[in-house]
Amino acid sequence: MRSAPILSDSSTGIPILSLEAVSKRYGSRIALDGITLDVADDSYVSLLGASGSGKTVLLRAIAGFEPLDGGTIALRGEPLSDRPAHRRNIGFVFQNFALFPHLTVQQNIAFGLENRAADRPSARLVAERVRAMVDLVGLSGLESRAVTAISGGQRQRVALARTLVAEPTLVLLDEPLGALDANLRARMCGELRRIRERLGVTFLHVTGSETEALAMGDEVVVLDAGRIAQIGAPDTVYGRPADAAVAKFLNCYNMFAGRPGPASFETEGARLPVRGMPEPRSGAVYAIRHDLIAVRPIDAAVEEAEARLTGDFLASEYSGPAVTSFFRLPSGTVVTVEDHLSHREPQLFEPGRAYGLVWRAADALVLPAREASRA
Amino acid sequence: MTVLTSGSALASAASAAPKPRRSLAAYWLIAPGVAWMVLFLLLPILMMVYVSFWTQTTFKVEPILTAKSWVAFFSSDTYVGALWTTIRIWLVVLTATLVVGYPAALFVGLMVRNKTTATALLVLCVIPFWTSFLIRVLAWRPMLGGQGAVNIILEKLHIISQPIEALLFTELSVVIGMTQIYCVFMVGPIAFMLGRIDPFVIEAAQDLGAGFWRIFRTIIFPMSLPGVVVGAIFVSVMVLGEFATAAALSGHKVNLIGNIIVTQVGSLKWAFAAVAGVVLTAVIAVIVAVLLRLVDLRQEL
Repeated sequence: MRSAPILSDSSTGIPILSLEAVSKRYGSRIALDGITLDVADDSYVSLLGASGSGKTVLLRAIAGFEPLDGGTIALRGEPLSDRPAHRRNIGFVFQNFALFPHLTVQQNIAFGLENRAADRPSARLVAERVRAMVDLVGLSGLESRAVTAISGGQRQRVALARTLVAEPTLVLLDEPLGALDANLRARMCGELRRIRERLGVTFLHVTGSETEALAMGDEVVVLDAGRIAQIGAPDTVYGRPADAAVAKFLNCYNMFAGRPGPASFETEGARLPVRGMPEPRSGAVYAIRHDLIAVRPIDAAVEEAEARLTGDFLASEYSGPAVTSFFRLPSGTVVTVEDHLSHREPQLFEPGRAYGLVWRAADALVLPAREASRA
Repeated sequence: MTVLTSGSALASAASAAPKPRRSLAAYWLIAPGVAWMVLFLLLPILMMVYVSFWTQTTFKVEPILTAKSWVAFFSSDTYVGALWTTIRIWLVVLTATLVVGYPAALFVGLMVRNKTTATALLVLCVIPFWTSFLIRVLAWRPMLGGQGAVNIILEKLHIISQPIEALLFTELSVVIGMTQIYCVFMVGPIAFMLGRIDPFVIEAAQDLGAGFWRIFRTIIFPMSLPGVVVGAIFVSVMVLGEFATAAALSGHKVNLIGNIIVTQVGSLKWAFAAVAGVVLTAVIAVIVAVLLRLVDLRQEL
């Protein structure tokens, strides 16, 4: 089992949430396979995983909606095993928001304070705290609206406010931006970070989108087939994925299977130089990021610190800030090259013509070949 | 800005364009229904109101307008008593179907999350309807009688030493019979509404710290209320118009308005029967109107 590095570097030293060998199975299907993880106080952690990787199950287990088959979950060092969901003081923001459809915005937000099992504040205090929260999430003026009569973005804010007003120890967000359109999603990303920083509460944000996970998290946890594949800062995960599964999931690497040799990697009928990587063991793949490949005429010279493959140009896709071009290697493998238009002039390629695909050897990675369980 | 302008220009162009004339053909769709309802519901009701003011003699009824039947109805202890009995039994049966039906609906609609199982359970509720209504009513006699199944079982279990005679041919037996027969009409609509509650909504309430009873009081019950109202309307309309169960299980001791109508029609007292019919229709209309006031069904369904 992989042991999790401790993220906690806060002053108290006690992680707000710690999972120890958490496992869960449905029949013969293993959903969570010994998850061990510590989450630091006052941090924003994104939990990235494909659908079926167990990320939602993990979140639901922490909230207390799913009983565990093994392992322990502790909140501020206190084990949660015997505490039912309504006594955990962990906030949960549902993907579909799960607002109370028969209540107004105001009543939805006040629900937790008015109905929780313990420690109910007076009506005056409830009203005060609801008002403050309404201001914080930007819902002023909508208090008496029915939640069925507001927009998707506003519902998202109600869901968030309803959870935050109860001052939970930890907030779990299950694909909270999934139901929003792209424009709104970008805006809510910033809002979520701002609100979290204002309140100093820890967010554990589950998402299937690699860009969202990298943008939101102080720390990114990559989950694959019920196991933690990698934990690290966003730039570490992006620049140095732990294995082929993570790299594949990040969706920005060309990967070639082959045989590692001394300071080189044999693949696609070529011996590519490898720099600055530890000597790879067997079962490795060679990975180079889409945006680190340069396209040159077929007869251009190759420098000593560079690696090169040749491929025929297939097609390009224009996506606004970038152009993505596809090249077919002699073996049939397709290589993706991404050109950011702000950095380079868009190059025009002739379909069917062979080009040299060149990158700095030091940019390439040789990764353990554990395949992603699901693409 | 250009986008905005062209957008509003489009909108105004759309609103300025003449509305498409609604095709007359659409009205032909409801014509058979309307004709049917006018001929066989509206006209008979008007006729009933009219006949209630006819002059009733022992052997015939004549179209000479008088309020005598109305005066007779409301000055007779039998008729007014029947009205109160009807309302009392309606209230008791409505309460009983709710008390028996709500937990069952809660189980089917909320606890059983597998839709196939939930449907199978609802079908199970409907199985008694495979036998005729009268058979179902009469089957209560061997159940509740002095030598009936219930008494025999209770005696065998030594819970009672002699048969409970009050079980049959009393108001109680009418209530027991009606509750069993009409309960399913309460279970169905409530289970339907409960089944529509998003399980995440209940989990959200739990996550916000509410225990089961809190969640029931603040989320589950309010959200099932439209189902309760629809069920109550079904049960009310059927119980208020009842006569067969009362006749068969009370030994003609319990007289509902429905029984009055049956006997009056049987002895050709059309004017009295019409008065009772108008009174019954009015009572049902008031009760349904009040029930509809409780919930805005148009918004909820």
